[in-house]
Amino acid sequence: MSAPEIHSLSATPITSHSFNGDRSQVAVSLNSNDVTIYSRQGKDWNVTETLSEHDKLITSIDWAPNSNRIVTASQDRNAYVWQETPDPQTGKLVWKPTLVLLRINRAATFVRWSPNEDKFAVATGARAIAVCSYDSENNWWVSRHLKKPIRSTVLSLDWHPNNVLLAAGSADMKARVFSAYIKDVDSRPPPSVWGERLPFNTVCGEYGSPSGGWVHAVGFSPSGDVLAFASHDSTISIVYPSGPVIYTIKLNSLPYVTLSWTSEDSLIAAGHDCQPIVFSGSAGGWHLVGTLDDTSAAKQSGGTRGFGVAGSQVGRLNSAAFHTFRQADSRGTSSPTSAAGSGSTDTELLTVHQNTITSIRPFSGTADRVAQVSTTGVDGRLVIWDVNNVTELTGKMGALRLH
Amino acid sequence: MDNFRKIDIDQFDEDVLLETELYEPYPLDPAQALDDAKQKAAAVRSSLSKGDIPGALGTILEGVPYGPNVEDAKTLTLQTLVTILNSTKSSDVSNIVKALSQDQQDTLMKYIYKGMGMPGWGDVSGSVLLGWHEKLTEAAGIGCIVRTLTDRRTV
Repeated sequence: MSAPEIHSLSATPITSHSFNGDRSQVAVSLNSNDVTIYSRQGKDWNVTETLSEHDKLITSIDWAPNSNRIVTASQDRNAYVWQETPDPQTGKLVWKPTLVLLRINRAATFVRWSPNEDKFAVATGARAIAVCSYDSENNWWVSRHLKKPIRSTVLSLDWHPNNVLLAAGSADMKARVFSAYIKDVDSRPPPSVWGERLPFNTVCGEYGSPSGGWVHAVGFSPSGDVLAFASHDSTISIVYPSGPVIYTIKLNSLPYVTLSWTSEDSLIAAGHDCQPIVFSGSAGGWHLVGTLDDTSAAKQSGGTRGFGVAGSQVGRLNSAAFHTFRQADSRGTSSPTSAAGSGSTDTELLTVHQNTITSIRPFSGTADRVAQVSTTGVDGRLVIWDVNNVTELTGKMGALRLH
Repeated sequence: MDNFRKIDIDQFDEDVLLETELYEPYPLDPAQALDDAKQKAAAVRSSLSKGDIPGALGTILEGVPYGPNVEDAKTLTLQTLVTILNSTKSSDVSNIVKALSQDQQDTLMKYIYKGMGMPGWGDVSGSVLLGWHEKLTEAAGIGCIVRTLTDRRTV
């Protein structure tokens, strides 16, 4: 039961983050064309490397824990695989990019290594997913496209533990499960709940939530038998494919954009609500458990805690901006100091993250028993949370919104 | 330059994604939808005459018409719903919205927004709608509003 570890890496948004295998280094995209690698030095994270090759914003990074290779996807329609190789002159290890032949005409939006690290999948705005494998003859990565029946930009991906199946969430309101079987790389997968014969581009399932919305995040459970997805209608859906049974949890809060399973019966989702929320359940049903972010406890930033909570009602617009305008309107004042709160810190949220959480990933533990997760967000913070440190959402969960 | 950003570039795309592909089509044809809306309006009137507001809301919020081509049914449903909202005592609103199912809350929110988009139409009253909106948001949270904005099945 420890408090979350908070690191303010930058003043710019963090688009994506990925740790190396032993968690001593983290690669992030600071909303720019470069990958920045931070290394842990004592309690601090310091910049040790910058990888420059992309010429547009990097949208996603994944660091393969065992083969120690980094794959990056960018809006410049390229992906690169980075590998540490000795420099021929100095013998010093440097990160060298390898070309990936994506053959796409829109941005690459998301990238993930397969569990065996012998291929990776790139989601794109070209209504396709490029599944890439290494071609040693030419020393580059070649891709095969999953196209049908994708109708719009693919926003997120997750690999099944069998290294063949791939889940994709897309802006056409659907979460799908595909086979990304590549003959030269994969051995025939054992039959699973998703199907028995799985040639490339088999669609094993297509799911949506009742009120639609872009599917921002998808994730297979540790066993791979259950699929969860988060969509823009503020819902989390959990799919048991054999029925298929779909549990859709409608939330009171803003939509989630990222999720991570922490065991076979629980997952953590986060997004515009600025805090990681824990869900738990089984084939019999799913429910919201609580938050990892205890907003009722005092934070070191102090002072402003409780602002707006006492007198405010759920759903009542009671934000600092609202106070500012109300003061300006009713009293002709332009400073919010006489309103509740103490002026300069009025815009501080009660949550640890001060803006949307864009990425949540397992940090420590095993796949089926994750002990800690890491989150990064638009506020430039990297936070490491203990997954067992769950607090019930106080009162009505809508109350935690902006205050 | 008059046409700047008004050209429909999608017409040149053979594989264009149509709005109708994004949701399940409404099952009834326009005539059936209108009949259905009329039947519900009658049922709502009888519930209202007995003072049964939750019953009336329950009737009107089930299987609401959505999508293109059923404008008449949509209009009638909005009209019926506005009658219910207007004839509810403001002190009862809170308990009524709390008793609705989540799906009903989402649907009610859609109509409140539709009503607010048509000020002065029929019996639509901004203050009544805002009163319902406040209580409904208290009960169902911001998520309910997000679903109203996200859902392509517009009422």
